Amino acid sequence: MTRRRRLGPTIVGLRPSTLIFLYGWRLTRHTIQELLAGLGIAIGVALFFGVLVASTSITSSAGQIIHAVTGSARLQLVARSSEGFDERLARRAGQLPGVRVAAPILRANAAIIGPAGRESIQLIGVTPRQIALKGTATRNLGAGSLLIAGGLGLPSGVASQIGAQAGEKVTVLINGNADMVPVRAVLGSQTVGALADSPIAVALLPVVQRLSGNARRVTEVYIVPAPGADRRVEAELRRLAAGRLNVEPAEHELTVLKATAAPTSQSTTLFAAISTMIGFLLALNAMLLTVPERRRFAADLRTQGYTPRQIILILASQATLLGTVASCVGVAMGDVLSRTLFHQVPSYLTLAFPIGTRPVIPVVLVLLAIGCGVLATLLASLPPILLDLRPGRPVDAVLHETGEAGQRVGRLAVLGSGVAGALLLVAITTLVLVIPRLTVIGGVLLAFTVICLIPFVFVATVRALSPASESLRRSMLPLAVLELDATATRSIALTCVTALAIYGAIAVGGARTDLVRGLDHAIVEYLDTADVWVTTSDNFLTSESFTAGRAPSEILNAPGIASVRTYQGALLDVGARRLWIRARPASDRTLIQASQLLKGNLTRATSLIRKGGWAAISNGIAEERHLHIGEAFTLPTPSGAMPLRVAAITNNVGWPPGAITINTSDYSHYWQTVNPTALEVNLKPGVSPLAGKHAVEHALGRRPGLLVQTYGERKARYQESARQGLKSLNQISTLLVLAAILAIAFALSTIIWQRREHLASLKAQGYDSSQLLRALLLEGTILLSIGCLDGAVLGVYGHVLASRWLKLTTGFPTAFSVGGSQILLTLVIVIGVPLAVIALPGLAAARVPPGASFQE
Amino acid sequence: MSTLELRDVVKCYRNGEEVVRAVDGVALTVSRGEFVALFGPSGSGKTTLLLLAAGLLVPDSGSVMFDGREISRLSDAQSATHRLRNVGFVFQSFHLMGSTTALNNAAIKLLADGYSLREARARAQPWLDRVGLAERALQTADRLSMGERQRVAIARALVSEPRLLLMDEPTGNLDSKRSREILALLRDICHERHVPGLLVTHDSEASIFADRVLTLRDGHLSDGIDADLAPTSPTR
Repeated sequence: MTRRRRLGPTIVGLRPSTLIFLYGWRLTRHTIQELLAGLGIAIGVALFFGVLVASTSITSSAGQIIHAVTGSARLQLVARSSEGFDERLARRAGQLPGVRVAAPILRANAAIIGPAGRESIQLIGVTPRQIALKGTATRNLGAGSLLIAGGLGLPSGVASQIGAQAGEKVTVLINGNADMVPVRAVLGSQTVGALADSPIAVALLPVVQRLSGNARRVTEVYIVPAPGADRRVEAELRRLAAGRLNVEPAEHELTVLKATAAPTSQSTTLFAAISTMIGFLLALNAMLLTVPERRRFAADLRTQGYTPRQIILILASQATLLGTVASCVGVAMGDVLSRTLFHQVPSYLTLAFPIGTRPVIPVVLVLLAIGCGVLATLLASLPPILLDLRPGRPVDAVLHETGEAGQRVGRLAVLGSGVAGALLLVAITTLVLVIPRLTVIGGVLLAFTVICLIPFVFVATVRALSPASESLRRSMLPLAVLELDATATRSIALTCVTALAIYGAIAVGGARTDLVRGLDHAIVEYLDTADVWVTTSDNFLTSESFTAGRAPSEILNAPGIASVRTYQGALLDVGARRLWIRARPASDRTLIQASQLLKGNLTRATSLIRKGGWAAISNGIAEERHLHIGEAFTLPTPSGAMPLRVAAITNNVGWPPGAITINTSDYSHYWQTVNPTALEVNLKPGVSPLAGKHAVEHALGRRPGLLVQTYGERKARYQESARQGLKSLNQISTLLVLAAILAIAFALSTIIWQRREHLASLKAQGYDSSQLLRALLLEGTILLSIGCLDGAVLGVYGHVLASRWLKLTTGFPTAFSVGGSQILLTLVIVIGVPLAVIALPGLAAARVPPGASFQE
Repeated sequence: MSTLELRDVVKCYRNGEEVVRAVDGVALTVSRGEFVALFGPSGSGKTTLLLLAAGLLVPDSGSVMFDGREISRLSDAQSATHRLRNVGFVFQSFHLMGSTTALNNAAIKLLADGYSLREARARAQPWLDRVGLAERALQTADRLSMGERQRVAIARALVSEPRLLLMDEPTGNLDSKRSREILALLRDICHERHVPGLLVTHDSEASIFADRVLTLRDGHLSDGIDADLAPTSPTR
């Protein structure tokens, strides 16, 4: 009886177990090669993923928090100053027809000190009505509200940072005072959801009112209208507000945050695009190095009788498996990057918004990163095989090829790349001149242009070097040029990575340096009106008021003090902008920073602002409202609409939504407060800043909630904060360059090692080891230099565009400088480090025994 | 007078516990202008013998002499100079750079001797003419036929005007027609240039073109070609 063989499921005649077996066989034979290829792919995916997460996390995490708090609320009544409004208005809001729930809160910025550290937080005072909003942060507070009676509830993130536990006391610095407050509960994500990672603290409303000195006041009321009653309720709220409060959608905070974070998001988007390209190229390069061996493997399979479809399935499955595993590793690495290096939220945002510290990672990003890694792996490994499998090509042709096949770059392709690159440059220039706000897109296209031009630049350089090297004696340059020409495709791929990394470092790094320089100018002019500053702690925007009491007179009576002036400021929401209101005393010698002036006469504008009723406004506001010098506008203030005229137009002095400068008399009148946000102290001649600081501290006595700083100390603090805000850009830029350097060094080393047989044949013909090493290093130098040249030239252009965008579109103060020394240093590092790294494998390869070129 | 002489050369390899005598007391002289074909089954030590003849391997005993000078124990630098100036290699797998022209491929050896590329090309062109590739000098190697590639490799071996030609299976990748053309060319060059040529091969056709035929089996050299390696079809 004939036994029938049971067949399992097959794909084009192959069992899945065969595919697994063949890949296992490959792994045992080429373990190092697969590991290195996988590492290259993982690094590429990590870069791509890490930067993508960083660029989406800021607004994503804030969105989660805001949703968690507002719950089902759809409207809110919002104060126009940090001092809030009478809580009786909140009760009246709750009694309006159509209102189901009215939940008042009081927000106040503070600092909290525990056994292990200190954190800047937003203190939020709530009532039990908050639970009725059913937000994920508040619906479980039912039991928790008992815990926080008379004390604080700290999110687990903050508690861990400062080392506080439930039952302990912590110090709260607020309103210029310091209070010891018990921690009643540490709130984890099970209780408060996304808020667990936010820089906040929660207490009952009366507690926060007492601590902040805002008795019987609230800053917001969240409203849940009855179904269908939104418009009616909104109208009623506006009548209640009577032009002194804002009526906004419940998630207005998110809208404002997005507008404020827009420049950061856009610049990070540019980086994300560059990182994507570099990541893709790294993965591509890593796989390209395995192609020669894969082609031979495919030829072996064909000679044994495997069909082309089977071979494609085998190789595609291997590439997919490698790509998937490596991409998953890359995603994990990218997650670490996004939580550590890229995790820093700019401090200027945390002072104005409750941004969580936990990066938000949407599943779609993970899938996108893995998909791109697999795609790069397949794109690198399959096309050369498909070419070998085309009909008519001998089965074993690849086994008899001279040198490495597929390395030629066609003349048409080279010319085409040059023309395409030139056209792109023209298009980009036109685009950014006509529509400046599309400069970031221009930057992304410019990165693409960097790659596009490489084949042309590479071939042109090699062609130019050829005649130049032909007459050199005792030089390995001719050999190096011949070798580069013979491996054009692979060399171009490596050069692209170099060029992109240089472009990113110079373009964005240069713009960042311009911005830091511009901010430094702005900071100096902003602060040098006083020798000593008195503010509440961490009051970076000088917008947190405190009760001065007798402090000004006491300071004035201290030895060495010449004058004490009140400075006031606030954040004010106008539409989607959270404006920085800066009110300077009329007696300040500088009201408008000269380096920040864009339009208007400095002397005249200063005189007008001193007089009152005039303001300096930043360019973004002017453009939005179509305002020019001398024109009138109104500001919504706590006491109603404030009429002003435009005295001058400035840049945004480092605050993306914009700034408005008025005098303190106008501010006090319309904000209905005499509380300062800072005291400006000038010293008598001959008194050192340190002595003056000590005198002020002594005069203030025990006011631990107030911070006394010399001008130099405050300037340093501002500059540190400004740099910290741009730190992630710097880190991303550095990481891109480092990743590119590592990838190039690794790729070059692998290529050199793969050429051992060829090097052996040269040695057999009479080349010695030192000649071969010189040739290898020359090759590497030329290749890297081409990439650096292309990247640097376009990087400088990208720097010009980016600086221009910062100035014109975002309104940031920038001071453009090419930064030649920084460019040179970057180039030296990018060329020098890979060469240093490949010297060792190069030497090992150059010392290959000549007999290795013979076949036994 | 260019003469290659191997005097009782022994070369052993260790294969695990076993010691294999790849070359076992071989004595061989190849005179100037003589074209010698060395046959042997796979693994018989033919390539080892070739490497010894080039001075690329140090014999365990015995000596290798070229022009009366021992070349078996030269330093690396001396050995490289010897190969550069005195030896021309022809490899089975050509070892050409695919995207590089035939002329540049042929000239590349002279760069190691301090020539400029321009000078090297000028010296290589006549050799390309000699091997019948005058019209194809500017074609890249990957566009040449297998036979043409081997001719480029031969031109490269000759460009330094060597005094010894060593050939490792030069027809291994060629069809029989091309093989005969190449073998005839190699023989003619040895005769014209009065250089000794040692050809290691499986190709039984070589016995027809060689001045002398040897067989290496089990490390021992014998005259003639073993019956199992002799050509089975008449010469065309």
